[in-house]
Amino acid sequence: MDVREVKERIFLALVVILSIAAVLPVFHVFLSVVWKGLGAIMEAGPSFLLDVPPAPNAGLGGIAPSLAGTLLLAVLSSLLGIPLSLFAAIFAVEFPDNPLAKGVRVLSKALLEIPSVVVGMLVYAILVVPMGRFSMLAGSLALAIMMIPYVTTYVEQALEGVPFTYREAGFALGLSRSKVVFEIMVGIARRGILTGMLIGFAKVLGETAPLLFTLGRDRYNVPLGPLDYGDSISLLIFDYAQTPYANMHQVAWGAALVLTVMFLIIFLISRKFTEEVFL
Amino acid sequence: MELRISAPLLASMGPLIFTLWVILGLMGTNVQGNSAEVSILGSGSSFIYPQMSIWIPKFTEEHPWVTLNYNPTGSGTGQKQFLSKLVDFAASDPPLTREVWLRYRGRVLQMPVVLGAVVITYNLPVEGQLQLDGRVLARIYRGEVRYWDDPLIRELNPTMKLPHREIVAVHRSDSSGTTNIFTFFLHKASPRDWPLDLVGKSVEWPVDSKGNGVGAKGNQGVTQVVMNTPYSLGYVELSYALENDLPMASVMNAEGNFVAPSTQSITEAARRAFSLLPKSPLDDFSLDLDTVVYAPGEGSYPLTSFVHLIFWTHYGEKAGAIREFVRFVNTEGQELIAEGYAPIPPELRLVNLKAVGLIKP
Repeated sequence: MDVREVKERIFLALVVILSIAAVLPVFHVFLSVVWKGLGAIMEAGPSFLLDVPPAPNAGLGGIAPSLAGTLLLAVLSSLLGIPLSLFAAIFAVEFPDNPLAKGVRVLSKALLEIPSVVVGMLVYAILVVPMGRFSMLAGSLALAIMMIPYVTTYVEQALEGVPFTYREAGFALGLSRSKVVFEIMVGIARRGILTGMLIGFAKVLGETAPLLFTLGRDRYNVPLGPLDYGDSISLLIFDYAQTPYANMHQVAWGAALVLTVMFLIIFLISRKFTEEVFL
Repeated sequence: MELRISAPLLASMGPLIFTLWVILGLMGTNVQGNSAEVSILGSGSSFIYPQMSIWIPKFTEEHPWVTLNYNPTGSGTGQKQFLSKLVDFAASDPPLTREVWLRYRGRVLQMPVVLGAVVITYNLPVEGQLQLDGRVLARIYRGEVRYWDDPLIRELNPTMKLPHREIVAVHRSDSSGTTNIFTFFLHKASPRDWPLDLVGKSVEWPVDSKGNGVGAKGNQGVTQVVMNTPYSLGYVELSYALENDLPMASVMNAEGNFVAPSTQSITEAARRAFSLLPKSPLDDFSLDLDTVVYAPGEGSYPLTSFVHLIFWTHYGEKAGAIREFVRFVNTEGQELIAEGYAPIPPELRLVNLKAVGLIKP
């Protein structure tokens, strides 16, 4: 065999081994969540989604208030965060020379890496302390702030990916600027935009730190109003994993699986968007 | 096609619905404010969280007009959130310091409501229960007693076959009330081996510089390290040792007896400490750890500690619910103690119950 062939084989083997080494921990985490979480959920039965969490060494109960809280928080923060991000991104792409638009671009990228606990402390200082209470309102605002830089960046990239010729074509047909933006640009980039929205939604589903000092952790009641205390699955896992009790650990594993399934569903939906080819 | 035309409109609906939710919610709360519903929130010690998760459902079952919740944010954070009136009560391993108590004197109530214990656990393939005292433990954590068959350890355990192996001394790497209790015990039991400047929530462990110390995060972390490291020794909260079936050493108390951690020996320490404790929830509790760690009494477990609840004296419309909660915790709540904790002695419950009369609207 030629030296070059040997080199190539060694290189190939190395790449395969390193790729496996890189993916293995992720799979290990995923499989342990599925394995241990499934065990807990099978044992608890359907009441795992309908019951309140247990006391130490007293069965498994369920995670209903935390599950409801997580879903409600994600929806509420999306209601606020997604449209704001959408408009911010369109503004930034449409008026690239405007100093404010430049600020939006720089800020949205800079805030991507902001430690999420800082967002929690910010909302704690400007909303929770003045209001004198933790609340769903504070929690959903913290999550909206978390999500805006992500969605803005994704939408910006999606819009920038639309070839300039389409815009020219739109103007050539005599369309107004708003029609060009909302019908042609957004229309062509809609898959990228939807993916960005879903990623933002998934991002806030799993957040813990912004909720530590904003939400109030009511683990026994389903939250509805803006001033209610709420809980999230991530906070439940955080607290229960630190207790010494085996049944509370099991609940945490089951809750982790529920959260993972929610991620998977969102992932599958976003895959569907990116695969579909219209036009 | 239609959808695309209304895209900006559709997007604007989101913040609109959010605002509507806030406005309707605020109006709804005003209406609800007239009903009898009361919501109480506490924050603080994560150590007491499992106990709270027994008390809360039981209490709200008996008092359905109250919603009660507890956030395990840590003792320090709990005190801060309580003092800034963000939460209605705090749970804290250490009581308020004297300075803070002086500032809020007459307005703040404190009470020890449950007892915890720090236990010495070890990983040793030897039959029998290890017996240790403060002097040996201090020297192990100083790195001076390095081997399991050290004459000092053999002297305390004459019947055990101790191997000539190095002791791995496991301690907390994070700041912790558990460390505070453990080091405070070492100081009280053997002040010459363990000076006061080595007492605190996080300390510079002398054993680390000798190469025999290992730090681990949280009780969970120390438990895992001890379980996975042969010939190691560490200190954890009792509940972690019980849940993981770890061996626990008997520790020599102030009267010179070796006492194993148990509900009886822990409550006994608090009973013997009682005469030195303040006699009203309005008093200064800042030195109460000094009374219960290395407490007098033949059967007292020396590494015992309190967890306190901290309340205000005035609560407005919530006063009734708070009073009921204080009463519950100090009566039937003491019959519902989680594994790894111990109830407070009856005489202390009577002192705590004075708070019921002190809490006013």
